Amino acid sequence: MDRRSKRALAVILALCVVLGGGYVVHAAFGPSRTTTDASPDAVASSVETPVMVRAVDPANPNLNGGVFVVADGKVRRRSKELACERVYFAAGRGICMGVAASGVDYGATVFDRRLRPEHSISLTGLPSRARVSADGRYGAMTVFVSGDAYLESSTAFSTRTYVLDMARGETIGQLEQFEVLKDGARFDAADFNFWGITFDPADSDRFYATLGTGSHHYLVEGSVGARSMRVLRDGIECPSLSPDGSRIAFKSRTGEGRWRLHVLDLASLADHPVAETRSIDDQAEWLDRDTLVYSDGTDVFVVDADGGGEPQLLVRDATSPVALRN
Amino acid sequence: MYQVEASKALLKPRLWARRPLGLRVPRNVVLLGIVSMLTDISAEMVATVLPMYLVFSLGASPLALGAIDGTYRGAAALVQVASGFASDRWRRPKEVAGTGYAMSALGKVALAGAGNTIAGIGAIVAFDRIGKGIRTAPRDALISLSSTKEGLATSFGVHRALDSAGAMLGPLVAFGILLVAPARFDAVFVVSTMFAVLGVAVLFLTVQGRPRRAPAPTEADDAPSFRAAAGLVRDPRFGLLLLAAAGLSVASISDALIYVGLQRKIDFEPAVFPLLFVVTAIAFMALAIPFGQLADRVGRVPVLLAGHAMLFLVYGALLLNGLDYAVLILSLVALGAYFDATEGVMTALAAAVLPERLQASGIGILITVVSIGKLVSSLAFGALWFAIGLEAAVLAFGVALALMLAIAAPLLLRAQRHPLHG
Repeated sequence: MDRRSKRALAVILALCVVLGGGYVVHAAFGPSRTTTDASPDAVASSVETPVMVRAVDPANPNLNGGVFVVADGKVRRRSKELACERVYFAAGRGICMGVAASGVDYGATVFDRRLRPEHSISLTGLPSRARVSADGRYGAMTVFVSGDAYLESSTAFSTRTYVLDMARGETIGQLEQFEVLKDGARFDAADFNFWGITFDPADSDRFYATLGTGSHHYLVEGSVGARSMRVLRDGIECPSLSPDGSRIAFKSRTGEGRWRLHVLDLASLADHPVAETRSIDDQAEWLDRDTLVYSDGTDVFVVDADGGGEPQLLVRDATSPVALRN
Repeated sequence: MYQVEASKALLKPRLWARRPLGLRVPRNVVLLGIVSMLTDISAEMVATVLPMYLVFSLGASPLALGAIDGTYRGAAALVQVASGFASDRWRRPKEVAGTGYAMSALGKVALAGAGNTIAGIGAIVAFDRIGKGIRTAPRDALISLSSTKEGLATSFGVHRALDSAGAMLGPLVAFGILLVAPARFDAVFVVSTMFAVLGVAVLFLTVQGRPRRAPAPTEADDAPSFRAAAGLVRDPRFGLLLLAAAGLSVASISDALIYVGLQRKIDFEPAVFPLLFVVTAIAFMALAIPFGQLADRVGRVPVLLAGHAMLFLVYGALLLNGLDYAVLILSLVALGAYFDATEGVMTALAAAVLPERLQASGIGILITVVSIGKLVSSLAFGALWFAIGLEAAVLAFGVALALMLAIAAPLLLRAQRHPLHG
């Protein structure tokens, strides 16, 4: 290496250190938020059931938003501490999943009736779905994980779904480790992914979820205690059981990254679309026996479960609706 | 001048030297290792935060990136053969490799400047993959041509150790930046660009483009023809080596699927899973140099075969009913050792057999054959897992690997006996 090369390298090194270091220092003192103070807007409606939501900043929809409750056409902030990407609540306990305060990783908080944090769980993936069983015993979380790029392994995405003991605030199982049966035989493949648990309102040990493998999206029915599942039907994603346990609202795939909300009758296994014609990527929630509540990513809507009527805007600038039925 | 002794703290052998041998690694190899390290820091910084950036800042579905990445892997594999041949033909391995490194650096600049649409990020990821495809074969040829034939495996070991150090440091640097500047992905991209630019600068300003074993430039019409490069496949010794490499790669379960399998066997806390990769990466980094030296001293073929035999440990762990952490860590270390004793050593075997004027072409062909073998292995293992279950599929691959080792051993020994032109 001659002197000119040495000098050139020294100059480039100095430039890189100054530019890179300077930019980081500038960024460290600059605006850097992971949460938003945005507040949702309730739209006048005849809906009686209170709905919990998380706020969305329309300019930056992926910042963690505060937890609010919409009742009687009014919006009230319920917690100063909680900020979430996804929230769920039932029987006195809830789950709030979001970006950790550092912005480096993701975490979940289990909170109590007054929305005070009780436990925190570190998540190694992007929050996707959250559910709590009607009796408050079990919780469920789905995250997206990316395969690390070390040693040339695949960087494709996969999902992971955890079952939580809500009282202890700990994960007690991962669906990837449960046994799966299809037509009575053991069913397994390397590309198994699970997402979107919904618990049976009458028996929290029983749950439904989605199993993705190849081009199939199976509805599976499982038991937390037995750590097993069985395949029921193809073409059902993000199931959501009705309060009486007779029907399942779900996402029906209409194209790559496009879905239509449908309702399945469990007795007849027949299903029909609801009046929402736009593509919806959400695990729908039952507002009451006859109505679904869901988000299109920026606002919350309600629609009749029987396929009739029109979708109605319920809350502006909010996602992750939870019906507070009792 | 290229035999300058490298940093002792990093490279001094301990385990294998019966008498103080002093690890004499060609300066060019260390410099190429530093180039790879800087480039890998840059690449891994971005790879670490890209999923978060996509979803958090762009509101994209995480599934988008998986599709983006898969599309261009095939293109990168084909580029490897072409860039290897171009590098031999023009006798400019440094410049061809440099083009690949520069492409990746440009991709980082684009990400820092304009990476705010999904399509834009897709294009940048593609650019990065193709850049990687272009640089690998000419860079390995440069490493080979800078080394003595006796020290080839050590040289590749030194390069791989530095390279994987970069892969470990990248995520740490990225997390460090996000800790002081939460959610400022732009700062990560800017610093990543700086590392990539430094890598290119070190390559162009310090690496010797015509090392000692490089063929002397003669008249233009003496440049190797495409026919000569393609003819390597039919060469008795290199052909045997390719056959053995293809067979062994088909019978080896890919690391991605091994991780998926291990994950089914043990109840991980959510936070533990990323540590699997870290344990393997640390083992890989720590063992790369000792294994390279071992290969140069006791023979490359025995080390290569023993390295593949390490996989039996991993397969054994996949057959156990439940896994405790001790067995898990042991199998992850075995996995790291397997990488060390196979990829770099196989390249060293090929480099020793290939004529100087066709080093990059031959290495490009080898890499492509191995990556096709890996693809076949992944598809076959996935299909077997589905058809007969994880344990039976692992057993089948174990039997196949034992068979392949028995077949490959005589092939490799024969291929190694006489260099093509020497």
